[in-house]
Amino acid sequence: MPDNEWDEILVAAAEEVLETMFFTGVYGPAEAGASLAGQHITARLTFEGTPSGTLTLSISEPAGRTLAANFLASEEDEPLPAAQLGSVVCELANMICGSLLSRVTSEDHFRLSSPEPLADDAAYPPSQPNQSLLVGEGLGDRTIDLWLTLEHHAT
Amino acid sequence: MAFRVLIVDDSPVMRTFIRRTIVLSGMEGAEFLEASDGREALNLLREQWVDVVLTDINMPSMDGEQLVRCLEADDLLKSVPVVIVSTDSTESRMRQMLALGARGYVKKPFLPETLRGELERVLGGAYAG
Repeated sequence: MPDNEWDEILVAAAEEVLETMFFTGVYGPAEAGASLAGQHITARLTFEGTPSGTLTLSISEPAGRTLAANFLASEEDEPLPAAQLGSVVCELANMICGSLLSRVTSEDHFRLSSPEPLADDAAYPPSQPNQSLLVGEGLGDRTIDLWLTLEHHAT
Repeated sequence: MAFRVLIVDDSPVMRTFIRRTIVLSGMEGAEFLEASDGREALNLLREQWVDVVLTDINMPSMDGEQLVRCLEADDLLKSVPVVIVSTDSTESRMRQMLALGARGYVKKPFLPETLRGELERVLGGAYAG
């Protein structure tokens, strides 16, 4: 499958998860890597199957707080503990990855690792994100960056 | 009608999400128990009756597939209906889990009405909203 098709599926998966479980939309592309400019939260998980690979998600902290408040039905101005915020971002990465893989494989099982929060900036993929999405209307720092690294492409 | 739901997921925030979704969907009378993996769920089920189990698949210690197998092999617990709530929505996985004995399958992400509909179906006519 060409890389641009993977990118399209990745965006569709992110849109589905954000709209269904986080009650927000994707408002278009954002500047690549914009989430890393300020405070941000990052999670990574690996997946095994056909294909195998890694998904890394980084989200700006304002966007993370908005999404976590939506997900947990809490007040946005009621600060969530950092660990809970990180857990929501991990769950977001988990569901985007599951949605992505379910779109490209119907017969092969896949297995997702437990998503882990990343604290070390050095752990980011060296490349530009596959997708950078704006998740809040008119607010430039409400971005999600997604890196998808595949070991084996599905045929 | 009161009913008791056991939510099995290693993510506390996902357990919270499912609990709130059921409450906000308008299903009245729900009581909740929670477990972080299949083993903890089995221990709870041996001590307390529940009407339905909602379980993830990928979990440490004992995953959802093992939990369904254990329940099916247990004469006392095999009648407890299990609904899978998983990010894995491949046809093969759904078929496998239903063949093992799961009564339903909800794919994450899901809409509140999807979860409610599945719960109503599994709980049967006694729960008619």
